[in-house]
Amino acid sequence: MKVSELAGKLGYEIVTEKYNDNEIADGYTSDLLSDVMGNAPEGAILITIQAHKNTLAVASQLDFTAVLICNNRSVEADAVETALKLGIPILKTKDNQFIASYKVYCEIKG
Amino acid sequence: MLFKADFHIHSCLSPCGSLEMSPVDIVSTAKAKGLNLIAISDHNSAMNCPALHELCANDPDISCFYGMEITSEEEVHILSLFDNLEAVIAMSSLVYKSLPEIINDPDKFGDQVAVDAENNIIGEAEIYLGSPTSFSVSRVVELVHSHGGLVIPAHVDRPVYSLSSQLGFIPEEDFDALELSKHYVLRQKDGIRQKALLNLENYPLITNSDSHYLADIGAVYNSFETDELSVNSLKKILFSYKNSICMA
Repeated sequence: MKVSELAGKLGYEIVTEKYNDNEIADGYTSDLLSDVMGNAPEGAILITIQAHKNTLAVASQLDFTAVLICNNRSVEADAVETALKLGIPILKTKDNQFIASYKVYCEIKG
Repeated sequence: MLFKADFHIHSCLSPCGSLEMSPVDIVSTAKAKGLNLIAISDHNSAMNCPALHELCANDPDISCFYGMEITSEEEVHILSLFDNLEAVIAMSSLVYKSLPEIINDPDKFGDQVAVDAENNIIGEAEIYLGSPTSFSVSRVVELVHSHGGLVIPAHVDRPVYSLSSQLGFIPEEDFDALELSKHYVLRQKDGIRQKALLNLENYPLITNSDSHYLADIGAVYNSFETDELSVNSLKKILFSYKNSICMA
């Protein structure tokens, strides 16, 4: 499923105007970036509340298809800027990580 | 003049700091251990820096910087050091306002006591100081620098609350130095091989005791020569130590 299709189905906002609309192969939920770097599969959508530019650095290293920010946390401007440069979409929802993980799982693996 | 400095000492204001850690006793213990330069660096508040200022201003044998260990939104601990009391108080007020409004429960988290230079309790921090602020690492760097302070990510080798544990890497930021924990430095001294840390060679390295109890003060320290004690001179000294292993 492509990022834009997932966002449309779940009603999640896409914060970045331009992005690469790639196929989401897998997902990973964590707020500890060192854990993400050690354990997340490549090409995943990262579900997290860490809405800063270091998240994008990790996302780019692991070729993530998207970053989904939960709990309606505001995304910092430099994070958006980095995401635009990298072409990685940032999605946002008021769902918490547990609910968002369930919904995304159902869409991409269900 | 030769300085022996421990810049990371928690007082009784930190919920995890022992109640014995009053500025009076921190100063007398530091002197007994042969230190002549210290900073009190509590979690997300500088409420005990005025007492430290008063004690050191009246003591020819010891000088101080004013510190704060700021928790970024990534839950990275970042040591900040100032030479100006007003600047640290202004920074402390910004930091305190950005903490989530969780009232401290002393029975669960520990006391957060502010004291004066005569050991009298003059107040306490109402909000729990152990929470992360809403500032990212980059924002902390910006704010501390704009208040005239130094930015030193704390205990970068530790498995908790460090750049390496929270991010997994050292981001490219304008850090003035990185702090190695006493565990790392003392083991290295004993010849025990340490896990290699990434990217350390790009920054000056210092070490501090991160004391929570009087007995820990001065367990490790930094020694250097200078005629002028200020953030600017310390910055220059740190820069001259770039690429060396440690100041201790």
